Amino acid sequence: MKQWQEYHLLSRIRSFFWAIPALIWQILLLYIPLVFVLMRSFVDKESHFTLSYYVELFDATHFIILLRSLALAATTAIICLIIAYPVAYFLSMYMSRFKNVLLFFLIIPFWTSLLVQLYAWFSILDKHGFLNIILQKLGIISQPYHVLNTPFAVYLVSIYCYIPFMIMPIYSILEKLDMRLREASLDLGATRWETFRRVTVPLSMPGIKTGFFLVFIPAFGEFVIPILLGGGKQLYVGSLITHYFLVSRSSGLGAAFTWLSSVILIIATVIMHWLFVRVVTPRKTRRAMYEPTK
Amino acid sequence: MRSIRLENVTKSYDGDIVIENLSLTIPSGKFFALLGPSGSGKTSLLRLIAGFETADSGSIFLGHEEITHMPIHKRNINTVFQNYALFPHMDVFDNVAYGLTIRRVPQDIIEQKVIKILKAVHLEKQIYKSIHQLSGGQQQRVALARAIITEPDVLLLDEPLAALDLKLREKMLIELIELQDTLKTTFVYVTHDQFEALTVADYMAIMNHDGVIEQIGTPKEIYEFPTSSFVAQFVGSTNIFSGAIKDGAFEIQDLGLLQIVMPDKSWAVQGAQALMSVRPEKIEISKSKLEGFSNELQAKVEAIVYHGRSTQYNVRLSNGMLLQVFEQNEEHFPYEVIDYDDMVYLYWQKENVVMLER
Repeated sequence: MKQWQEYHLLSRIRSFFWAIPALIWQILLLYIPLVFVLMRSFVDKESHFTLSYYVELFDATHFIILLRSLALAATTAIICLIIAYPVAYFLSMYMSRFKNVLLFFLIIPFWTSLLVQLYAWFSILDKHGFLNIILQKLGIISQPYHVLNTPFAVYLVSIYCYIPFMIMPIYSILEKLDMRLREASLDLGATRWETFRRVTVPLSMPGIKTGFFLVFIPAFGEFVIPILLGGGKQLYVGSLITHYFLVSRSSGLGAAFTWLSSVILIIATVIMHWLFVRVVTPRKTRRAMYEPTK
Repeated sequence: MRSIRLENVTKSYDGDIVIENLSLTIPSGKFFALLGPSGSGKTSLLRLIAGFETADSGSIFLGHEEITHMPIHKRNINTVFQNYALFPHMDVFDNVAYGLTIRRVPQDIIEQKVIKILKAVHLEKQIYKSIHQLSGGQQQRVALARAIITEPDVLLLDEPLAALDLKLREKMLIELIELQDTLKTTFVYVTHDQFEALTVADYMAIMNHDGVIEQIGTPKEIYEFPTSSFVAQFVGSTNIFSGAIKDGAFEIQDLGLLQIVMPDKSWAVQGAQALMSVRPEKIEISKSKLEGFSNELQAKVEAIVYHGRSTQYNVRLSNGMLLQVFEQNEEHFPYEVIDYDDMVYLYWQKENVVMLER
C-alpha cells in the first residue's frame, strides 16, 4: 500500500470516528424502535406470527386516508413553493438592507410552541373570529362561515406552518446566486422574465428540491393540525397512527400501517426526486450541474 | 460597429461620486482601451455603457441613438465579464448559443453559427463539454464567443485576462487583436494593466484616481508624449524632475541647468515652475565619458536589478535624487561591467524628454 493510500485510509477511519456518537444515537433511538415496530406488525396478541394486520390494511378506508395525506402533502408543498419563491426572491434580490430583520420575522414563529400558534389560528378562523369579522365588515360575506374544523382550515394552517421550510433553502440558494450571471443574460438580450426562466430558476432548482422535500415529507405524517384545526373529522396518516396506538390500543394494526405509510412515502419521494431530475431539469442542465466530470 | 459618446456623465453610489461630468468619444470600429488604477471608476463607466447602471445625469449615445435610459437587453452591446459569468447549468454550446436562442433564431442556423464561432476561437472539440470541464483560458474563449455571436455594435471587455497566466495572456491579447481586425466591432477594453492596454489598443484613455480622463491618444502618443505627470508615471516608469524654466533650459536646484526643447505651450514661459519626465530607457549609462549627448549627469549606483532582457540601475544624483535607468542586455560579455557604488555618467538627448506643466 502506498503511503498516501495509507494516509487516506487513516483519515477516513478518523473522520468515521467522529460520526460514532451520532450513529449510536440514531441506532438506539430510531432504527431499533423501528425494528420493534416492524416486528410488532407481524406478531398477534398470542405472540404468533401473523400477516392478518397487513391483510386488514387492504381496504378502501386506509387507501383513502393514504391518498388524503398524499394530497395534503403535495398541495401544501406546491402552494408553499408558489408563495415562498417570490418571497425568497424578493428577500435575496431587493432587500439587502432589511434582509436580516425580515428573516428574523420569519424565524419568530419557531420560538413559539406549535400548540400556541395553532390556538392563535382558532381565534382567527372561529365563526366569530378575526377572519369572519373582517370579511363581514368589508361586506364580502353577509353570514359568518364555518372555517374551523374543515379541510380548508387544515390546508391553510399546514401551508402556514411549513412555509418557512420552503423559503429558507430557496433563499439560501438565491442569496449565493452570482448576480453577474443574470447580468450576463440581460446583456445578451434576454428580458427580465427570460432571465428568470432560463437562468434564475434552473440555478435555484437544488433549493426548490430541498424545500419541496422539507415540506412534503413532514406534511405527509402531520397529525396535530388535522386533529386540532380539522376537528379530527377527517383522518390523515398521522392521526390514524396516533389513533391506533393511543386510542384504540391496536398497536399491531398501527405498526403495520406505520410501515405501509413509510413505504408509500419513500416511493412517493423517489418518484418526485425522479420527476425533479428527469423531467423538470432538462437533460443538458442535468449533465452540466449534477455530473461534472473533472 | 458604432461609436459610443458620453456627454457630461455623472454617476455616484450612495452619495459617493465615482464619475463626475465625464465626456468621452469612443471611435467606431476601433480597439479602445480604458486604462486606470484600481478604483478609478473604469468598471463603473463600462457598466454605464452596458446598461447595468444608469447615469445620474448626462447622456450616452450609441452612434446617433441615445441609450442613456435604454434597458440592458435592448442595447446591442455585449460584455465579456471579468469572471466570465458563464452559465454553469449549460454546456459550451448552450452558453454560446444563448443570445441567438433568446432571439428565437432557428435551431439549424444557431448550430451553424455556434460551430463556426467555436472554430474561430479553437474550441470546436469542447462543444458539448460542461463549463466545469474547461480550463481558465477555454472559459475565456467561451465568454468571448458568447458575446460576439450576436454581432453586437460594441463589445465591452472588463479586465478579461486578469485570471490568466502571463504566457496565455500574451497569446490571448494577440488573438483579441486579430479578432477585432476581422470583426471590425468597436472593442472597449478596460484594464489596470498598462502592458495589455499598450498591446491591444488603437486608441487608449487614461483615467486617474478621481475618475477623470487625463489623456486620450494612440499607445505611442500616450507613452512617448504624456500630457500630465499622472499619465507619465502611470504608463510605464519614468523619472520626474521638478524645476524651473530658465533661458530655454531647465534649472534644477543643486543640480544645475539641463538642456530641453522648449514646449510650445502657453505655460512654458521664463521662470515657470515645471516638471520634466525622462523615461529610464532613454538614459544612457556608462562609466566612461561619451560624446554627442545634450545632457550629462554624474551619479552613484545604489542598486542593480537584473530583468533578463534588461538591467535596471537605481542611481543617486548629487542632489540626493534617485533615478531609474534601464539598459538593454545586448551582449553576453559587455565591455564594461557596472557594479554597486560605481560612479557613472548618465546621458540623454533633450528631444527624448517630456516637459509637463506643474
